[in-house]
Amino acid sequence: MNTTSGNLIEKIYYDDDIVKKFLLATMVWGLAAFLFGLIAALQLAYWPINANMEWITFGRLRPLHTNAAIFAFAGNAIFAGIYHSTQRLLKTRLASDLLSRMHFWGWQLIILSAAITLPLGYTQSKEYAELEWPIDIAIAVVWVIFAINYFLTIRNRREKHLYVAIWFYIATIITVAVLHIVNSIEIPVGFLQSYPVYAGIQDAMVQWWYGHNAVAFFLTTPFLGLMYYYVPKAANRPVYSYRLSIVHFWSLVFIYIWAGPHHLLYTSLPEWAQTLGMIFSLMLWAPSWGGMINGLLTLKGSWSLLRTEPLIKFFVAALTFYGMSTFEGPLLSIKSVSALGHYTDWIIGHVHSGALGWNGFLTFGMIYYLVPRLWKTELYSKKLLENHFWLGLTGVLLYYISMVTAGITQGLMWRAVGKDGQLVYPDFIETVVRIVPLYWVRAFGGTLFIVGFLLMCYNIYKTIQLAPKEQKAEGTEVSRSGFDEKTDKTHRKLEGMGLVFSVLAFLAIAVGSVIEIYPTLSLHKYITPANIIEPYTPLELAGRDIYIKEGCYVCHSQQIRPIVSEVLRYGAASTVEESMYDHPFQWGSKRTGPDLSRVGKKYPNLWHFSHMMDPRAVTPKSIMPNYPWLAEKDTDFLVLRKKLSVMKQLGVPYADDIVANADIDAQKQAKLIAEDLEKNGGPRNLQKKEIVALIAYLQSLGQKGKQ
Amino acid sequence: MSDNNEKFHEYDGIIEHDNPLPTWWLWTFFLTIIFAFLYYIHYQLAGGGTLQDELKVAMAQLEKEKASVVDTSPMETEDSLKEAFGKDGILAVGAQAFASKCAACHGQELQGLIGPNLTDKFWIHGKGTRMDVIAVIRNGAPDKGMPPWGPVMKKDEIYAVAAFILSKQGSNPAGAKPPQGEEAP
Ligand code: HEC
Ligand code: HEM
Repeated sequence: MNTTSGNLIEKIYYDDDIVKKFLLATMVWGLAAFLFGLIAALQLAYWPINANMEWITFGRLRPLHTNAAIFAFAGNAIFAGIYHSTQRLLKTRLASDLLSRMHFWGWQLIILSAAITLPLGYTQSKEYAELEWPIDIAIAVVWVIFAINYFLTIRNRREKHLYVAIWFYIATIITVAVLHIVNSIEIPVGFLQSYPVYAGIQDAMVQWWYGHNAVAFFLTTPFLGLMYYYVPKAANRPVYSYRLSIVHFWSLVFIYIWAGPHHLLYTSLPEWAQTLGMIFSLMLWAPSWGGMINGLLTLKGSWSLLRTEPLIKFFVAALTFYGMSTFEGPLLSIKSVSALGHYTDWIIGHVHSGALGWNGFLTFGMIYYLVPRLWKTELYSKKLLENHFWLGLTGVLLYYISMVTAGITQGLMWRAVGKDGQLVYPDFIETVVRIVPLYWVRAFGGTLFIVGFLLMCYNIYKTIQLAPKEQKAEGTEVSRSGFDEKTDKTHRKLEGMGLVFSVLAFLAIAVGSVIEIYPTLSLHKYITPANIIEPYTPLELAGRDIYIKEGCYVCHSQQIRPIVSEVLRYGAASTVEESMYDHPFQWGSKRTGPDLSRVGKKYPNLWHFSHMMDPRAVTPKSIMPNYPWLAEKDTDFLVLRKKLSVMKQLGVPYADDIVANADIDAQKQAKLIAEDLEKNGGPRNLQKKEIVALIAYLQSLGQKGKQ
Repeated sequence: MSDNNEKFHEYDGIIEHDNPLPTWWLWTFFLTIIFAFLYYIHYQLAGGGTLQDELKVAMAQLEKEKASVVDTSPMETEDSLKEAFGKDGILAVGAQAFASKCAACHGQELQGLIGPNLTDKFWIHGKGTRMDVIAVIRNGAPDKGMPPWGPVMKKDEIYAVAAFILSKQGSNPAGAKPPQGEEAP
């Protein structure tokens, strides 16, 4: 069959079974992800929903929600769409059925292990990269399987030129691999614990280079690829502009990778990096809108289809939300806007107009398009689809509006300084109480979104149930094309060369990565020797690991920005040196509670004890969960030697005898704290308990410099 | 933007047109690039103010405003406080502030918990005059675990809790902590 003739007609069979598998997984995990999100939303509105259960407290549930939403819901949706559209665009079956299935089952196992380890508190505390090292390795392996399968499929193609959707898929596969591997370099301490090799500003830089580009190359580029296939297909309309595709594709991948530091404005990250993060985010505006324009102008003229093919509504809304969030993103990257919005719920609103509106709606549109075609039938009910759309849209809008209002309100309250030079709302809790009603509105919006989603699940279930039982695979007749095309256009030639194209895409993302990350790897250049701090004592280190395990960083920052109101509220701005031994850094990204970087010595030990057992005992209106189990569980003192030795290996200056005696030393310090608790009327015999280690850590915050 | 109807390429039935780039879009792109370069040059290369510089300026500004405000308020004396503490309804305000901010350490009934009993005649700081109580509330004893409330509470609120505390002198609550400090005359 492999003749050179371009016109030979062959009958081939696409692998649609794998597409069906990924689609069903998308729906199952989507439901889980949304429910976790809803529970988390309710916990913020009404703290008793934390239920005094360590596995589902907000600090552990939120990472579960984000991981499930991104990697399980969006991830499976991407794989379904990529595998379905690629076979058709390249006129070939996927290279290997075995690799496809290894990809599928491997990915589901990873999700399952995330769903088990995160509630148990095994986490690296790096956002969207929380999973511990054995799972990190599994992710890398499965991703490589996916990549091999994909590039072999490209090699087998019968269509010489790669369509724009494929460009986006290639950029996704390459970049996610690079991001994941670089951000996950860590040294194991035990089977499910590790410390990253990066510390402080380094770790912050690498983590948000990863974190931002997870949004870029997991939630944006693959979805743009899907958009370029399913929107013109469903609307049966020509794609508006090939030229625009070229310009916006290359500018997008080149510019996106630089934008990470916009998550770190006003922090102790070197200012040149912050400025790069801001200006590249601004330059990202037009390339992002290029995709929206191409999508919307493709749909132009198909408005009559909205009645006969209502699933197009999802695509119109998805593109509109994409446009909104890619306008809001650059806006939030402007330093002075970030000063107001960062750490607040505005960011959460922003994320969800993208996540629910863009990723969610595009996925729903794709599912409605694919299921009837894959199962060779009609959609069960267009009416239900309509209802899903309007419920979902109302849900997203309520979510977005309530969180933007909450964020701006709280941001303004935090920064308000009176004529007398004092904070107008010095009590942090006042600013929380004010926005709790909006947390209820958000939860209501989320509920509507979920109800709409359930309508879809029912609709799809019925569709499949009513589909013909005999589903015999039908072949498709294809012929090789494009191989004899003569062109002198450089980009057109490039589209015919899969490997060269991929290498260029890699180079495009490598430039920004190297320029931003390389300099921060020599941390010492940014450190003033006079300000170097003392490392944590062994007990403090044990406490820090508890802080990470409980997900305290999910709600508390440890980074005071050089802004008047923050200096008044929390103390002097954070320095590079203060986090220089922090593997991983704990700067946080959201202040549901106040900043903690200088909380050390602010309160007596017993205050912390009462607060952790029941925050309402000391702050009557607090929304923080209770942590009673900390007074019951024992600290693992023995592992401290190993922990210190890993830290020492990473460059933290611990003397050999400190490492060798870490456990004894820690027990001594624990005894002192336990005695102090008892003397002041607290319970007796706490020296072995986790709470004491945690108190030691909290009391050390901001106390390690040479004052 | 009229559609250039020429078919350019086709993939799996998807037809690609090749319309020109929208002019307004191109201009947006150019302008952001130009702005980005100017911004970087100004702040990173041409010595534009750093974030730390901005903070210093803002703090200086704040100090200046503060100075101009403090000048106008009258001096506090034991007598001026006596008058202020006698205002109607002040004790209710004080009780509420005490319950939310102080009770965690001093007990709901002021009987003493982490902090000392506030109902007896024994004082660690000063002799229990209005001026003394106000001073310790404002400045705290950070090393001993009493936070400074000056930066956190407004003047009227501090007056109110102080008045409330002094109104509870000799109330002899149950479970009172043993005396700490010196007995006041
Ligand atoms: C975190 C615990 C804590 C909180 C909260 C707290 N205090 Fe105190 N307070 C203490 C401690 C401890 C002392 C004793 C300081 C010392 O030994 O020097 C003290 C001392 C005092 C004293 C002086 C007592 C004396 O004998 O001299 C006064 C008055 C006082 N507090 C008032 C307040 C008021 C009013 C509030 C609320 C606005 C408050 N405290 C909140 C812990 C606290
Ligand atoms: C009904 C649907 C959903 C609800 C109710 C919901 C709710 C929430 C809540 C409560 C948080 C934490 C907010 C906080 O810290 O204050 C959150 C964070 C987040 N969610 Fe969702 N979510 C939903 C769907 C999704 C979807 C579909 C995605 C992506 C595909 C997503 C992605 C994220 C991300 C990335 C964050 C973290 C934001 C950050 O780090 O700042 N969510 N969500």
